[in-house]
Amino acid sequence: MKQFFPNECKILFVLLFFLLSLSFFGQYSAFGGQFSGPVQRHAIRIIAGLVLMFGIYLVDFKFWNNFAWVFYAFVFISLIIVDLLGTIKLGAQRWVDLYFFTFQPSELMKPVLIIALARYYSMISPSEISRIKNHVVPFLFTIIPAILIFKQPDLGTAALLIGVGIGMIFLAGFPLKIFLTAAIACIVTCPFGWFFLHDYQKNRILTFLNPDRDPLGTGYHILQSKIAIGSGNIFGRGFLQGTQSKLNFLPEKNTDFIFTTIAEETGFIGTMTVVFLFLAICFYFFWVTTEFRSRFSKLTCCGLGILMFLHVFINISMVIGLVPVVGIPLPFLSYGGSSMITFMISCGLVMSALKNRK
Amino acid sequence: MNKKDDIRFRTKIIFGVILLMIAIIIINLYQLQISNAEKYVLMSNKNRIRILPILPKRGHIITSDGKIAAGNICHYKLIMECCSEKIFSENMALLEQCICLEDEDRIRIADQRKKRAPFIIIKDGLSWSEYSRISMILFKLNNVSIENTYIRNYPMPSEFCHVIGYTSKSDGNVQVLRGKTGLEQTLNDQLTGEAGNVQIEVNALGKKVRIIDSQDPVAGKDIVITVDSRLQEYIHDIFSQEKAGACVVLDIPTGEVLAMVSVPTFDLNLVSGKMTSTQWQSITGDPLSPLMNRAVGCAYPPGSIFKIVVAFAGLNEKIISPRDKIFCGGGMKLDNHVFHCWNRGGHGKMDLCNALKFSCDCYFFETAKKLGIDAIVKYARKFGFGAETGVELSNENIGLLPTKKWKFLRYGTSWKPYETVIAGIGQGSLLSTLMQSAAMFGKIYTADFNFSPTLIRGESKKHEKDPIDSEHLETLKNALYQVCTSGTAARSCRTDYGISGKTGSSQVKKIKTSEAGANQKLIQWKFRDHAFFVGCAPYPNPKYIVAVFVEHGGGGSAVAAPIARKIFDMLLKK
Repeated sequence: MKQFFPNECKILFVLLFFLLSLSFFGQYSAFGGQFSGPVQRHAIRIIAGLVLMFGIYLVDFKFWNNFAWVFYAFVFISLIIVDLLGTIKLGAQRWVDLYFFTFQPSELMKPVLIIALARYYSMISPSEISRIKNHVVPFLFTIIPAILIFKQPDLGTAALLIGVGIGMIFLAGFPLKIFLTAAIACIVTCPFGWFFLHDYQKNRILTFLNPDRDPLGTGYHILQSKIAIGSGNIFGRGFLQGTQSKLNFLPEKNTDFIFTTIAEETGFIGTMTVVFLFLAICFYFFWVTTEFRSRFSKLTCCGLGILMFLHVFINISMVIGLVPVVGIPLPFLSYGGSSMITFMISCGLVMSALKNRK
Repeated sequence: MNKKDDIRFRTKIIFGVILLMIAIIIINLYQLQISNAEKYVLMSNKNRIRILPILPKRGHIITSDGKIAAGNICHYKLIMECCSEKIFSENMALLEQCICLEDEDRIRIADQRKKRAPFIIIKDGLSWSEYSRISMILFKLNNVSIENTYIRNYPMPSEFCHVIGYTSKSDGNVQVLRGKTGLEQTLNDQLTGEAGNVQIEVNALGKKVRIIDSQDPVAGKDIVITVDSRLQEYIHDIFSQEKAGACVVLDIPTGEVLAMVSVPTFDLNLVSGKMTSTQWQSITGDPLSPLMNRAVGCAYPPGSIFKIVVAFAGLNEKIISPRDKIFCGGGMKLDNHVFHCWNRGGHGKMDLCNALKFSCDCYFFETAKKLGIDAIVKYARKFGFGAETGVELSNENIGLLPTKKWKFLRYGTSWKPYETVIAGIGQGSLLSTLMQSAAMFGKIYTADFNFSPTLIRGESKKHEKDPIDSEHLETLKNALYQVCTSGTAARSCRTDYGISGKTGSSQVKKIKTSEAGANQKLIQWKFRDHAFFVGCAPYPNPKYIVAVFVEHGGGGSAVAAPIARKIFDMLLKK
């Protein structure tokens, strides 16, 4: 009898098992060491996410290829509606809670953009790829939703989307020289972006550059986060023993700062475990594509790998004070349904691609 | 399509970039969690652990008759722990009905709330009625408690103000009381005890979560002093009629100070407690300096009392003998200047006993001239002048023994013979404290140069004796007895139990009228002589020394001796 899962999937299961266990115990500890309501909800989300992952796995991978435009169009229109409604309601934004479980279109945009870009590039013949005009559409596909999300305002997700988009364009074969030139040009023009930022976003960046500016505001949170991580030392303070998180010195200890809670209680050993688990998953996403024949599935899996990595990198850099606090969750570990579903879908898609690789 | 555009190649580049970025994260985590871990552990502990001091109970100072001279009374502090704005305003609304808060209290509370202090002292020092009113509604209040502490209290604030001295809070984090003057200062270490502390864990809001560790304070030692409260009060009452002065009563042979009074006095409770700056200025700005302990802290010319030292020196150096007589014609001529005896008419021919009895100045001018200043100073030093008496008070004045060397260093001029002459009657540059004069009597009547006064029970037995080996002591004792039976103090001190003593009226340095303040009455008072009397009783084996000093009181026999008599009566006629 043919195996239900391809052999390669088992590696992903092992990695996911460790990561989701860490996720459960991390949240259990962050919520005060009781199996209370939120912890139960988190456990349910993990299970529901796994179910969703297998559901995606069962769907034929061609389905995503065929309906990529439809998905993209749908999410794009949702974003515009959110933007319009937001304008009417003067800033009250997280609208889609009512329509899609707890989903926000901006969150959904991440995988959908990857699929759409993969679909687009799969139509371009490899010989045409080095022509700039072939990259205009992907650029617009990325930048327009990013601007809409930026206006929500959600600087983190917008930046992330641009990161994913650039990654995809580069991956697909954007000419190397022009890419490097553009990258340098971007760094030079970066300061001009300042004028488009909201005051609170400017504040965050200023505080990030000079934490003493606002010791009891954002700077205070970064400092408390660093204290928590640093005081973890090599072996950590012990499970449920983290004083910074238990005594509420940490901001958002369940969501964006879950890494801090884990770092405090499990120390350097724990943080390295988390970092290497994520690195392994990213590597896995890239590695599986070696045997793929279709450009669509190759690009999709690599794109999802980039998406995952950017989340991990931005989140950890944020809590250790390398980048401003922008509200990017840590995949699987942070409390909350949206990101859990996004990354479960990602895993499902990769598994599905593996199944249909031939 | 060239190789560089291949997805596999691009994937490798991207994965390379990913590894690079992960490396950055790992390096940063290494720095945080391993290189700087110690620093962050400290910061984490500083975040959550507050160490609150528990003040020790300061030891009591108890008089020899068992009364508490310095004690502690309960003091209530109203404390609110860190809480939400809602609870805070609810609490404050209820509390406002029970206590009245000053504006400065409100500012302080608001300030402490801003600083996220773990607790705020709403009011320091609740009155009893406030305490009971709050206790009634305490169950309605959240995070509010009443802390019971002790503050220093002096049941006899005026009588004991100089002996006990005042306290104030020390400047450090732990506000332990510290003695500033008197016995509170010298016995501070024994009285203080050791502060304890409690380590509490607080959350981010500063609210107490649990107690981690605590260390109980060690209460200070109670100390029994030699002063008798009844005698002290009695003398204090007598002196309440005098503007300024002092009195010391010593026990023979122990040297225990049975009473030590200095007037004017101040209120110990006021100075140790909460006092406004105007109140403090009215004390420090008083021209009579109430804070000054006149028994040990002020040096005056000893006057005729110093004649005892000169007499002893003369006898011991064989310059005079008890039977030698010196003629007093009312003055002595030296270098074209006549030094008058207080009795301008002259005493006639005087032997030592009569010279002391009538306090004849001429006799001692002559004796001093023969002795020379070096010998006088040598004997004065033996009798304890020019040095601390050893009583347990830190602000002791050692007085001044003028020597040739001192004169040269101080004024750059050489010693003049007339200075020796006036030193012979305890005038001139010579200065001593009342306690030194009293101690001198102690040395004579115990025949021990090491006699020293003490304020602490049990301290007197410790010293070694340095016996005064002289047959001349009896001569002196006899003369001093006669002073009070038929001499200068006879009018007030002739008693059935027998007082021996010496009067003294030391002339005050003249102040030019133009220099003095506007108050004419005060100036005149300032010109008067200081009145001294030092004596002991009963005769011939005295048990008590009484030294009386009335600042600008006039004559020693007229003012000081009657006071001493009253004290002796109180001591010996129970």
